[in-house]
Amino acid sequence: MSELPLQSTQPMLEAVNLTKRYEDGVLALDRVSFQVRAGEIFAMLGGNGAGKTTTINLFLNFIEPTEGEARINGIVTHLEPLKAKEQIAFVSENVMLYANFTAIQNLDFFARLGGQTHYTRDDYHNVLLRVGLAKEAHHKRLRGYSKGMRQKCGIAIAILKNAPAILLDEPTSGLDPKAGHDFIELLASLRAEGKAILMSTHDIFRAKEIADSVAIMNDGKIIMQRPAAALVDTDLEQLYMQYMAGRSSELVG
Amino acid sequence: MLSVLIQKELKAIILSPKFTATFIICSLLMLLSVYIGIQEYQNSVKQYDAGKQLIDEGIREATSWHSVRYRAYRAPDPMQIFVSGLNYDIGRWSAINSQSMVKLRNSSYTDDPIFAVFRFIDFTFIVLVVLSLFAIMFTYDAVNGEREDGTLKLVFANSVPRARYILAKCIGGWLGLVVPICLPILLSILLVQLFGIPLSADNWLRLATLIAAAIAFFTFFIILGVLISAMTKRSSVSFLLALVAWIVFVLIIPRAGVIVAGQILPVPSTAEVEGQVQSFSRDRWATFYTAQEERWRERSLHNNQSEGDLSAVEEEKLWKYMEEDDAARKAVQQEIDEFDRKLNDDLRHRRTAQERLAFSLSRISPASAFQLAAMDLAGSDIALKSRNEQAMDLYRTEYTQFVQAKQAESGPGGGAFTIQIDTEKGVSIGTPRDQAAVDATQLPVFVPPTFSFSDAAATFLLDLGLLLIFSIVAFGGAFAAFLRYDVR
Ligand SMILES: Nc1ncnc2c1ncn2[C@@H]1O[C@H](COP(=O)(O)OP(=O)(O)OP(=O)(O)O)[C@@H](O)[C@H]1O
Ligand SMILES: [Mg+2]
Repeated sequence: MSELPLQSTQPMLEAVNLTKRYEDGVLALDRVSFQVRAGEIFAMLGGNGAGKTTTINLFLNFIEPTEGEARINGIVTHLEPLKAKEQIAFVSENVMLYANFTAIQNLDFFARLGGQTHYTRDDYHNVLLRVGLAKEAHHKRLRGYSKGMRQKCGIAIAILKNAPAILLDEPTSGLDPKAGHDFIELLASLRAEGKAILMSTHDIFRAKEIADSVAIMNDGKIIMQRPAAALVDTDLEQLYMQYMAGRSSELVG
Repeated sequence: MLSVLIQKELKAIILSPKFTATFIICSLLMLLSVYIGIQEYQNSVKQYDAGKQLIDEGIREATSWHSVRYRAYRAPDPMQIFVSGLNYDIGRWSAINSQSMVKLRNSSYTDDPIFAVFRFIDFTFIVLVVLSLFAIMFTYDAVNGEREDGTLKLVFANSVPRARYILAKCIGGWLGLVVPICLPILLSILLVQLFGIPLSADNWLRLATLIAAAIAFFTFFIILGVLISAMTKRSSVSFLLALVAWIVFVLIIPRAGVIVAGQILPVPSTAEVEGQVQSFSRDRWATFYTAQEERWRERSLHNNQSEGDLSAVEEEKLWKYMEEDDAARKAVQQEIDEFDRKLNDDLRHRRTAQERLAFSLSRISPASAFQLAAMDLAGSDIALKSRNEQAMDLYRTEYTQFVQAKQAESGPGGGAFTIQIDTEKGVSIGTPRDQAAVDATQLPVFVPPTFSFSDAAATFLLDLGLLLIFSIVAFGGAFAAFLRYDVR
């Protein structure tokens, strides 16, 4: 499960003309295509309702694509969802775990659900420390956790699954500046392990800092996609605003 | 993976704060109900023994077979501790004599109406009302609660087949609720043992089956909760739905079945039938008397023709007339009795048909199926009355024959009174056989009808089967609903 793909050139995560029209007629995603390779971080930027969560949900087969497909390590998610899901770990937008369970109990359940039965108690403590959750909290029920603490727990769960691909929906949204900073380092270390990471975020600076590739989404389309190398000298925020302004002028026009 | 999911369900139920409180309340209620049941059973046994003793004494003191007041008592059954059924509504004894028909009198509720106000809260009631609510309280948000918490997404980010997840919900919920509830059930049985209530092998068998039926009923509501939670997105909606379903299943359908059956197959009331018999008899007697008057008028016409004193011939004629009248009277009485019997037979048949329809209709609800199974197992079902009355009726025939034979034996003066008037002692009344009294050793003893596991089998197996079918249907529904469930 954790082995790297044979060819690092084969994308771990791939969207091919991914299109989603919801039952109420909203076209949330319009022919989106991108690739994320092993050891690569792909950041999706975009305003509220741009289609970031929809994209991630399609990779998880929570919804079926209207057209196109999402592939994980070559497996089409909506055709072989169970096989595809063995290859991904996921941190949701607003992590809510079992409130009556302690952090350790939550970790243990999700690790074993993901097929990782070999972990010991120490492994759980270590991964919680790695994501920045103080030891005192490990045996507390999640009921008393703050949003950021839950977020850290969610990230720990994703790490424990040890899957080649990781999907993160606004992972830094609840984290304090220090935790946000630590999280970026954590992502870098995961990338170093060869994970393919797809994240949606509103944090332009962090995106620029860490991502290998940045896409700006608007109205279900990728309106800009560049490798990080091409953004080194650009002010990403300015660029983002320009694109957003472009949208508003479009709307006006 | 199934075991991982089941373990999580178990843990989620047992760690939830509402679990301890509800579990303790349920357990206390159950134990309390069994304790009250034991007290009531012991009272019944005491009353039964006292009643039998009273008869024995009565026979010992009786001076003639004529003065024996025999009563047949309905025997208490230890199963009534768990299922009171109709036990307290039906009379406890019937007078046995040649003059009056068997009729059960003095039910616990007529003697102590205060109990009738709230009814006995027995084990069956606790299962029927409290456990079903308990089940629904824990499972109404089994699926949609996880959706609302966002954990459903995290679970399904793993390669978890939906079928396995919903199966784990049901099994986990079942284990998490049924296993704990076995504790108060076992304690209840221990309580019965502690009070030294003797339980026969047959009682044990019936008790075990009753517990199985209770668990089957409980299972249905556990799965019903899961079904409702898999059909709705919000737990607030499913809570209301579950409550409505509970009200419909537990409170409405069992009663509606009876009401609808009453509409489809109306049965006249006993009072109506009695009224019909009375007016029939009034008519018959009226025609009888007019006919009799007519006859006498004709007879007197005859008599007037031959004047003079009452000769022997005349006297013989008069005897003949009286015999004629007597025969006519008997014929009328017989006619009325036949009419009475016919109406009552008809009433009984229609009642049976209505009961059957009412029970069939109400069996749409597992609550009725459980209640009927419980009453059948405990022998406190709707046939309790007729079963006892029939046995008492048979005994009455035996008894009257015996008494008649005894009376014939002791000669024509056997039952005659002697009245002695003494100026000093006053009046004393006695019989010629005062000293001998009656010898009760040969008197046939009433043996209350026994009711066993196999007697009940036909009906409770149907209900037990129904309970299983309901659970399977609910599970099928939950399964189908969850396959299409939006986990976001
Ligand atoms: N279940 C749904 N039914 C209908 N429309 C939906 C549904 N979910 C999302 N949408 C619509 O799809 C579009 C994209 O939504 P999405 O949640 O993917 O946005 P997002 O980029 O994640 O936004 P945010 O930054 O606020 O999280 C929006 O217009 C939204 O209204
Ligand atoms: Mg979103």
